[in-house]
Amino acid sequence: MSLTALLVDGLTVRFGSFRAIDDLSLAIDYGEVRAVIGPNGAGKTTLLDVISGITRPKQGRILFNGALDLTQTSEAAIARAGLRRKFQKPSVFEGLTVRQHIAIGADVGFRPRLDTPALDDRIGEVLETVGLTGQSTRLAGELSHGQKQWLEIGMVIASDPSVLMLDEPVAGLTDEETGRTAKLVRALVRPDRAIIVVEHDMDFVERIADRVTVLHEGRTLFEGSMDRVRADAAVVDVYLGR
Amino acid sequence: MKLARLTAAAGLLAGLLFAPGLRADTLDRAGLVQELCGDAGAMGRAGAALVATAASGSAQDRAFAAPLARAVIDRKLGCDDAGAVLDEGGLDAVSRTPRAAAGTPRSPLLSLKNRPVFELADAAFALRGAPDIAQRAAALKTLERRPAQIPEGLLDTAAAAESDAGLKEQIDTLAQTAALNASDPAARIRAIGRVAETPSRRALTRIAALASDPVYAANPEFRRAVDAATARIERGIALGDTLATLYNGLSFASILFMAAIGLAIIFGLMGVINLAQGELIMIGAYVTWLVQQGLRVAAPALLDWYLVLAIPVAFLATAAIGIALEALLLRHLYKRPLMSLLATWAVSLFLVNLVRVIFGTQNMQFETPFYVSGGVPVIGDFIFTWNRMFAIAFAVVTLALTWGVVRRTPLGLNIRAVTQNRDMAACIGIPTRRVDMMAFGFGSGLAGLAGLALSPIYSVNPQMGQNFIIDSFMVVVLGGVGTIAGTVVAALGIGQINVLIEPLWGAVAAKVIVLLMIIGFLQWRPEGLFAVKGRRK
Amino acid sequence: MIRLGRIGPIVHLTALILMVALALPALSGTPLEISRYLANAIGQLAAFAVLAISLDLIWGYLGILSLGHGLFFALGGYVMAMYLLKHSFVVTGTVPDFLQFMGWKDFPFYWAGFDFFPYALAVATAVTLLISGIFGYVSFRSRVGGVYFAIITQALVYVAMLLMFRNDTGFGGNNGMTGFSVLFGWQMGTSSMITALAVASLVVLALVLLLCRQLVRSRFGALMLATRDDETRLRTLGYETLRLKLLVWCLSALIAMVAGMLYVPQVGIINPRVLSPELSLEIAVWVAIGGRGHLVGAVIGALLVNAVKFWLSSAAPEIWPFILSGLIVLVVLVFPNGLMDLAKFRLTRPMGPKRMAEEMEEARP
Repeated sequence: MSLTALLVDGLTVRFGSFRAIDDLSLAIDYGEVRAVIGPNGAGKTTLLDVISGITRPKQGRILFNGALDLTQTSEAAIARAGLRRKFQKPSVFEGLTVRQHIAIGADVGFRPRLDTPALDDRIGEVLETVGLTGQSTRLAGELSHGQKQWLEIGMVIASDPSVLMLDEPVAGLTDEETGRTAKLVRALVRPDRAIIVVEHDMDFVERIADRVTVLHEGRTLFEGSMDRVRADAAVVDVYLGR
Repeated sequence: MKLARLTAAAGLLAGLLFAPGLRADTLDRAGLVQELCGDAGAMGRAGAALVATAASGSAQDRAFAAPLARAVIDRKLGCDDAGAVLDEGGLDAVSRTPRAAAGTPRSPLLSLKNRPVFELADAAFALRGAPDIAQRAAALKTLERRPAQIPEGLLDTAAAAESDAGLKEQIDTLAQTAALNASDPAARIRAIGRVAETPSRRALTRIAALASDPVYAANPEFRRAVDAATARIERGIALGDTLATLYNGLSFASILFMAAIGLAIIFGLMGVINLAQGELIMIGAYVTWLVQQGLRVAAPALLDWYLVLAIPVAFLATAAIGIALEALLLRHLYKRPLMSLLATWAVSLFLVNLVRVIFGTQNMQFETPFYVSGGVPVIGDFIFTWNRMFAIAFAVVTLALTWGVVRRTPLGLNIRAVTQNRDMAACIGIPTRRVDMMAFGFGSGLAGLAGLALSPIYSVNPQMGQNFIIDSFMVVVLGGVGTIAGTVVAALGIGQINVLIEPLWGAVAAKVIVLLMIIGFLQWRPEGLFAVKGRRK
Repeated sequence: MIRLGRIGPIVHLTALILMVALALPALSGTPLEISRYLANAIGQLAAFAVLAISLDLIWGYLGILSLGHGLFFALGGYVMAMYLLKHSFVVTGTVPDFLQFMGWKDFPFYWAGFDFFPYALAVATAVTLLISGIFGYVSFRSRVGGVYFAIITQALVYVAMLLMFRNDTGFGGNNGMTGFSVLFGWQMGTSSMITALAVASLVVLALVLLLCRQLVRSRFGALMLATRDDETRLRTLGYETLRLKLLVWCLSALIAMVAGMLYVPQVGIINPRVLSPELSLEIAVWVAIGGRGHLVGAVIGALLVNAVKFWLSSAAPEIWPFILSGLIVLVVLVFPNGLMDLAKFRLTRPMGPKRMAEEMEEARP
């Protein structure tokens, strides 16, 4: 099944006179892991900001499942529709325990929907997936950088999102941690889920990505598999620098 | 003796013929004295002659006649067989040569009807000739009681010769009143036109009073003149009020700008709102006062220039406090803006109470040098006052200085770099902490200058800072983070709105409305007027 | 940092407060009976502690600093004063000073019904919810926060002060309202009334403390902390933080209002000076000194600072501002978490420069 999860259509984002995203169009399908790469300032994080409703574009729209225009929807409503995002800088709640994080991620709303046993099961499951089972009562502020990255991933996957955005999930991680994260990402692939990864680590991208989109100055420079990306002269020119 | 009588008779005749419209280049002195010693009718004619002499007589005639009027009032004129003597038998009233009284002199008594005429004459002489300003002022007071009786021309010539500006203005006012109440309608219409030339609320009251005059109903020409003048004065007053409001708003905005620009730079740079900014303004004003007192002792000749000489002192003193504040306190509260807020409040509390203990709570007394006193009346009741102009000019200079520092100096370049991206600026070797310190010093110094600039306008006491600080915060919120243009526009806007609303609904309503407008504005632009948008950091 | 799930000092403190509340009337008539002045001071301190909790709830747990909480405190106080004046008028026929001063024959129309306490309470609640609701909604909707929110709330309380200083508003103007003689039909100013008010304040304090403890320990409390730590993160997890903030903000305003209602009958006067920005800043100082994000800290901070203030205002009033500013500097520089730091350090290791640096780094606004 290759339904389109997200359709980005003619998107333009401006900060003052600077065009962070310039008339960008692209489609992301269910079942794929899409890596978005590009040099600094290419508009990768801004694209995720627009998808998650944090930044409003000047022009264009983003359709989720062909119906919901995300550029007109609030951040919380976008998240409740099933789109979740991990931020570039690990964003966790320093004053809460690991367990509370997963509970907040799993059960949306001010009144709990899941009953206690179901919630406990779900938390256990997610903690195991991200490898934090032993840490459940620790405060997030006390975790290491890598653990914070995984905690945030755990928080965003706890609700079973249909679109998962990961902004630099392996930045600052050791090789061993990067390897574990790559396995984790591949394990999250499902036919009814689209995963978007923004990353600079090319080896990591090669291991996880089904398709790669190269952004440059707010536009799509190239789209295809990692092998073809490496072979493309224009990409090599602006980005890989070889 | 015979001759004297003859001339007196001739003089009497001349007096009879010419007294009403006397344009006496040559006063018949003997005839006048003769009449003064005559019956009530003759004295009345003599009084009129005296009044006419006071209004348009030559200097010699006035010098001759003035003592006569006085003497009659004081009953010191002695009528005898040879005419009359002054000063109870010292001088001959006509020739002013010493002679003894011939026989028993008789002092003529003024009738109730004649007394005001002589008093008028006496006052008119005093107004034109008395050497002492107090005497002239007293004479004017006497004249003011009977504006209708004042002879035409007297007040104009008196005003032209008057050396004291205040008294001159009073004479002019009286001249207008006199002309407005003249008996000749044409003269009144001319006077109405002259009054309307300088519109003011006082002029309006005077012209409006004419509408209840019987002539208003009877004489259409007069009515037209009054109505036209009223309309003209009202237009002038409206224009003057508008200008005055804008001018006051501009001067208030100037103070706000100077108080807020430092806040805005610091807020943009460090994310810190300095709650002690108002107290730095206060310190600036107190330093200005200290400079004034120092000059009083050390160089009294320069006392008038204390406002200028205090500029570097006020700037450096408050800048030093600002630098100390940054280095000792805020530096350690980096990235904790709410704690910085409390810390700067502690400083504000400390400074207010320190000043209160040292100087007391009363308002400080400031000299008013010539360059900030008085003003130029423009139109209506709008006076272009120099003290407000001083604040406005000062703010313009401050704006230019700030712009120059931020745009044209290495410090300014560093400030802009750190404001945009602190981490990146640190990476390329900008000493961010040093920049913070210098910028804080600069912003504090500007607050000190604000204190100096407002000292000729507002009262200076330990609490004064609190009057400006909330408005200054609103300027920063409205203007946006760390932009000079935003601060200027916001200060102008808030300053003008305050003075526009104040006369309509009062000062409190002005503050309420400004606050509501700012909250409303933030719905539309939460980052302020001139903020640059960027990605979430 | 807050450890949840720990039966902590809150319960102990609540028990202590209730014991004091029991002891006050029990001791009366015995040789241990405390003076009227002290009983009154205890009651006022309890009201201040309630006020401190209200601010800690939004500052410590939600990360929103209000420098205008005196507004809600004054609102409760003014409504209580209106009730007391109207009630006293109905019972004893005393015409309030401010009516005589203004030369008014009768109460303004909006005073109607204020002699009936439930109505006064309903009005206070409604007005507090209206003001806090509208102000909170427009501020949080446009994502005004941090320093901006702090200074706009300060402007709000300042404007309210200017408004109440006007004599023609019918709320006592410059002189405020005083001369309360009857409360719920009982004579005011008697020893038993003073004790009763102090006990009532202590009981309310205990209740508010327990209520807030339940709130911050709940799932909702966890979401409050999450909002404080990273609001965007929580929003992109599907939570409308606007609603959460608005709810807590209004609750906090209500608690401040209750504090004001307890305070006024005990001091016997209300005037616009409770609306001065200084008082609102002082509340923040109590909380900062006690330790943000700790309900116990807020209570202890309020009690400690005000006890010193009470004592000094009779002993040496002019040095109080200097001591207060010194205290603030000490707290923000050395003990960013207030007295809670002091407690923690004594139990663990002494604070060296390194530890201090770590604490500074960790401390968040």
